[in-house]
Amino acid sequence: MNKRQAIAALSLAGFFLATYLTLYKLGYIGTLACGTGGCETVQLSKWGDFLGMPVAAWGALFYVAMCAAAICAEFEWVASPRLLSRAMTLMSGWGVIFSGWLTWLELARIHAICRYCVVSAVLVFVLFVLSVLELRTQREG
Amino acid sequence: MAKQTVKPSKSGNFVGILVVIAVVGIAAIAYLANGKASKAVTVDPNVPAGAAFGYIRGDSTAPVQIIEFGDFECPSCGQFATVTEPDIRSRLIATGQVALTFYDFPLDMHRNTWAASNSAACAADQGKFWEMHDRLFEGQNEWNTQATKDPVSVMKGYAKEIGLEMSKWQSCVDEAKHLDRIKGNRAEALRRNIQSTPTFIIGDKMVPGAITYDAFKAYVDSAAAAKAPVKAPAKAAAK
Repeated sequence: MNKRQAIAALSLAGFFLATYLTLYKLGYIGTLACGTGGCETVQLSKWGDFLGMPVAAWGALFYVAMCAAAICAEFEWVASPRLLSRAMTLMSGWGVIFSGWLTWLELARIHAICRYCVVSAVLVFVLFVLSVLELRTQREG
Repeated sequence: MAKQTVKPSKSGNFVGILVVIAVVGIAAIAYLANGKASKAVTVDPNVPAGAAFGYIRGDSTAPVQIIEFGDFECPSCGQFATVTEPDIRSRLIATGQVALTFYDFPLDMHRNTWAASNSAACAADQGKFWEMHDRLFEGQNEWNTQATKDPVSVMKGYAKEIGLEMSKWQSCVDEAKHLDRIKGNRAEALRRNIQSTPTFIIGDKMVPGAITYDAFKAYVDSAAAAKAPVKAPAKAAAK
């Protein structure tokens, strides 16, 4: 499996994780109750939404964009692999900053850790590393 | 001819991996949706309330009596109180079909919820529990753990807004006059093995979660039907 394929596969997995959190936040999965777990505390805090949308929904959109870019790069659709690699590096770089900010909020402001959010943050970081490596490969090629 | 970066067999493997991830992802979400969705369990509706002392809204002789265990700082309770409860009040409580009794279930995860329960109990002394209940849920983001370390100062503003006699309310809050009542309500929730807030007991069903009005009404209807006497057919059909 090459780096673009790995990015697509990890992004797809991340999409389902973010979709689960979005559905949970919107009340379609689970009871949205407050009795258990850090995820509820995090999701139901005032930082659970960003620009009018659940943060997890932004995450789902990010993963869809990453997955689409990686697939397009793999099959040379829409744009050149080099351009798409740049786009993936930029998106995942922004993702790392955003995830870092969210993790800081969990630790310093909300005082609760959502394990799914941590998994997502790690996933975003791995995607960033793979994107940078892919961009380097494109430049060398 | 367009340049191909992957060989057909490799691209086939890649697509296969994506399909497997998609199938696993969809299955996992479906499993979690079924396993964790709000489900009612059958309970004994005649379990005595013990030392707990709730706040009733509606006619105490209404055919369906509903108990709510709620936490003032719980956003899910806030969602229920501000979105669904107005319909329940106007369509079910005001029409005499149900009465709803609220019991505090302050959760450990919410630092400011005890202050809210205390404020509401002190408002109840002046016959304005529900006014304070509504104001607390409407303004949850103004006084919750993330918003402030001094929730009582925010609640003081609410007490003024709803027209409480401030000196009485303030001394009640300062003395934590109703702490035992709140503890009793919480103990009752724990005794009933309530796992989350809000949780409703409607007839013989214990229903967790901020359910919709339609779901709530369905439970009320089934509780009312279970209580209604079974009527014999007026006349057997002639053969």
